[in-house]
Amino acid sequence: MPIAANAGQVRSKIVNALMAAGGRSFANAQDANRFIDEELYFSAGATYGGATSCVEIDCGEEAYFVCDMGSGLLELGRDATRRCRYGRPKRYNFFLSHLHWDHIMGFPTFLPAFDPDSEIVIHSCHEDAEQALRRQQEDTFFPASFDSSAASIRFVILRPGEELEVDGLQVRTIRQHHPHESFGYRFTDRTGRSVVYSTDSEHNIDDMDKEVAFVGFFQNSDLVICDTMYSLAETSSTKEHWGHSSNVVAIDLCHQAGAKRLALFHHDPLHDDDVIQRMHDDSIRYEKLTRDGQPLEVLCAYDGLEVTI
Amino acid sequence: MEVTFVRTSDALIVGPAGRVDEATWKEFDSELATAVLQTSRDGLETLIVDLSRIDYMSSRGLRALTVAKHQAQAVDVTIRLASPNDVMREILAISRYDRLFAIDDRVPAGRGAAS
Repeated sequence: MPIAANAGQVRSKIVNALMAAGGRSFANAQDANRFIDEELYFSAGATYGGATSCVEIDCGEEAYFVCDMGSGLLELGRDATRRCRYGRPKRYNFFLSHLHWDHIMGFPTFLPAFDPDSEIVIHSCHEDAEQALRRQQEDTFFPASFDSSAASIRFVILRPGEELEVDGLQVRTIRQHHPHESFGYRFTDRTGRSVVYSTDSEHNIDDMDKEVAFVGFFQNSDLVICDTMYSLAETSSTKEHWGHSSNVVAIDLCHQAGAKRLALFHHDPLHDDDVIQRMHDDSIRYEKLTRDGQPLEVLCAYDGLEVTI
Repeated sequence: MEVTFVRTSDALIVGPAGRVDEATWKEFDSELATAVLQTSRDGLETLIVDLSRIDYMSSRGLRALTVAKHQAQAVDVTIRLASPNDVMREILAISRYDRLFAIDDRVPAGRGAAS
């Protein structure tokens, strides 16, 4: 579910920051920003946000590449509209991990869908993708129907394991364990840079041999965006079969695969910024404790995070 | 993987040694399953996993502990962990496995090798 910091939480951050500043004055905004960056924890000076899954892959091609249509798509649509005003073609490629509500709920508010010049291609391994998107815009759930979108919209159903080229980007898929199934994507650009998007993917304790396939899928990637919603203990007990993974498993898989960076992704909406920050700190420590080769940089996703490869 | 089995008056102590990682977790898993069966056959209620000679354990080793816990629950055996080194103690905390298992600082004295 999408969440947002409430007034009390924002106020608490401001109070803590003022206390940490200890009466200091700042000559300009640059000095104030330096204080935030160098002296405050991320969770004290910012927020991880609470938009649901939506990730843009920008590899220098003209077309857009977007993983999932969570509530973060609203902001992306607004920004893409701005970029298109500067001449970028209005061609959008979507890649859906699965059809659960938190991964498609942003589409009804995606501004380019209301532009008759937009061309939208929705890739999914689920044959019922179009049905799901249409259903969420039935008048029971939303005032504007799917057919009221002015853009040209096309669905492409992918076969799991299939490799294809989409507007200059190589795309591979992998089947993942999640209720109603989910699929991970590996994107490789013309220069060989690769990003893996693997969310809503549980690695079951009763079939750990299957993880070999994920190690292969993550192999030597520059960035793995990985579902780390729960602790390992939760995925082994109260949240078993809920379809999500942990920071510890994600780090182990990335270590085995020789991946360069891991972005902890799909945070538990019940966790506030302090809990997520602690999970990030723990993850960095676990990576160091268990490292047996090249270091793995462990990032923690937040709304608006940009990672340059 | 080198593993010892030691009896006390009311528990079996299984003592694996080394690293439990992608190369060794299956053996660790198998030894734990054997230990659970042995504990039950001996009419004991507690299996203690002596971690004092474990250098490090990856998520697969931790999850093997969960599998063993499920097996143990089916035969009314309780698994306790004991004597983790500093690294293992951190890993148990980070993974929140310290909430799934009771962890003792020391391993109780045994009565000699059971097998």
